[in-house]
Amino acid sequence: MSDQNIFDKLQNIDRRVFYWVLFITLMVPFVRPIGLPVKVVQNTRDLYLGITGDNVKPGDIVIMNFGYGVSAWSECAPGFTVCAKALLREGARIVFMGSQYDVELSFNKLKNDAKADFATKEYGVDYVFLGYFTGGESAIAQLATDAWTVYPADHYRTSVSDIPMMQDFHGWQDITLVLSSDTGDVGSYFLRQWQAAHGTKLAEIGIAMNGSTDYPYYLAGNYFGLSIGSRGGAELEVLIGEPGEATTAMDSINASHLLIVLAVIVANVGYLLSRRQA
Amino acid sequence: MAYPTAILDVIGLWTGWVLMLMIYSYPLYKENVAYRFAEHIFVAIFLAINLVVNFTYLMNTCVTPLLGGNLLMVVPLILGILIYTMLIPEYRWVSRYPIALLVGAGFGLGIRGAIKPSILDAIVSTITAPSAGGMMDWVNFLYIAVGLVSSMLYFLLTYEHTGLLQPPTRIGRLFIMIGLGAYFGNTVLFRFTMLTGRAQFFLQVLKIIPM
Repeated sequence: MSDQNIFDKLQNIDRRVFYWVLFITLMVPFVRPIGLPVKVVQNTRDLYLGITGDNVKPGDIVIMNFGYGVSAWSECAPGFTVCAKALLREGARIVFMGSQYDVELSFNKLKNDAKADFATKEYGVDYVFLGYFTGGESAIAQLATDAWTVYPADHYRTSVSDIPMMQDFHGWQDITLVLSSDTGDVGSYFLRQWQAAHGTKLAEIGIAMNGSTDYPYYLAGNYFGLSIGSRGGAELEVLIGEPGEATTAMDSINASHLLIVLAVIVANVGYLLSRRQA
Repeated sequence: MAYPTAILDVIGLWTGWVLMLMIYSYPLYKENVAYRFAEHIFVAIFLAINLVVNFTYLMNTCVTPLLGGNLLMVVPLILGILIYTMLIPEYRWVSRYPIALLVGAGFGLGIRGAIKPSILDAIVSTITAPSAGGMMDWVNFLYIAVGLVSSMLYFLLTYEHTGLLQPPTRIGRLFIMIGLGAYFGNTVLFRFTMLTGRAQFFLQVLKIIPM
């Protein structure tokens, strides 16, 4: 065993050592930020431009779908928050809904993170929280044709007929655009049942894992904009000019990515060297 | 968000912190009682909340309208109940009807909307050369075009991949490997981002960084 070289030793290292190194590497940049610059890419810029300026008029109704749960807050919440802030500042009315059973926690976090913007808005007039829905693609299709049957009441059990804003929302024809943030498939349901079927403007605030799946839809024009993961959230924070959670987390994410790149290089070099020796 | 001051919020915060450490004790140390305890709590709470949330949704969208006089709502309610016949072996066949309806409706809806964005728009987007933009746009265009054609040729299984077919199918295999590698890489990095959130939470609860 003593004739083992450094690569042999690294290949036989206990995986727990790597996990500890990773966990510590993730934490250090939070304590001592590096401050690497964030470059805004076109798909994120298109998303931001699509929800600001002339693209959204005061009074327009926008759907924002929480397709992510608490576990994906670090990926989706920052971008979602920036979009909600931007839309509220444009005077748009927002319908919040979600396909995750813990959607209430995500909505409460959003209200807390955009406290100043929600403070000037009135519930039921400027925004409404419809809460959880189930039924997958069928429910999204039904939402387009008769929204009140999917949501007879909002999350707080107030009948939609008693909510002023809901008098103007019955189906796809009342909606200016849809923003969906997903860890799963709900964005693609909106794509098929709203964008393809009725031409509704749609954008995705997705997770990094789905970036390569979502990007072709952005290139084809099905999504007018696309934010990918925490990085997309950080870019949106740059665009709105308010550094937030994603900007803070970017250093940590970059550090973890560098560690992985390093591990991949070392592992491959080690593998090739040990194969050559054999 | 400020550090909570209400006693219940503080207890909730620390409970989450301790449970998180109990879960992480598995990869950072080894399987142990604390990990299993936290895992069981997680599964139980997940199921309980899921059940309550879905039951509430069912009450709001189906049972309440039914009691309010919308008799049509009896149809989905009966179909839903019929699914549970799969628990009774002699009446199991009955459950196939609501499941067939669900699958049929799902396929119908899916296909209706899938052709344009997933097939037609994707093809048009792939074969349309960039009208403006820099050299990178052209590189991307050629990369996608070559990748698409060669990857599709790789799945041409009615001919042996020899002769003229050999070079493009080999390139196709390479593109598929690159694509799957990128997808796997994205998956791993997504998990790391989630871990970043937990690392931040770990430090925030200890007040090492602001909440």
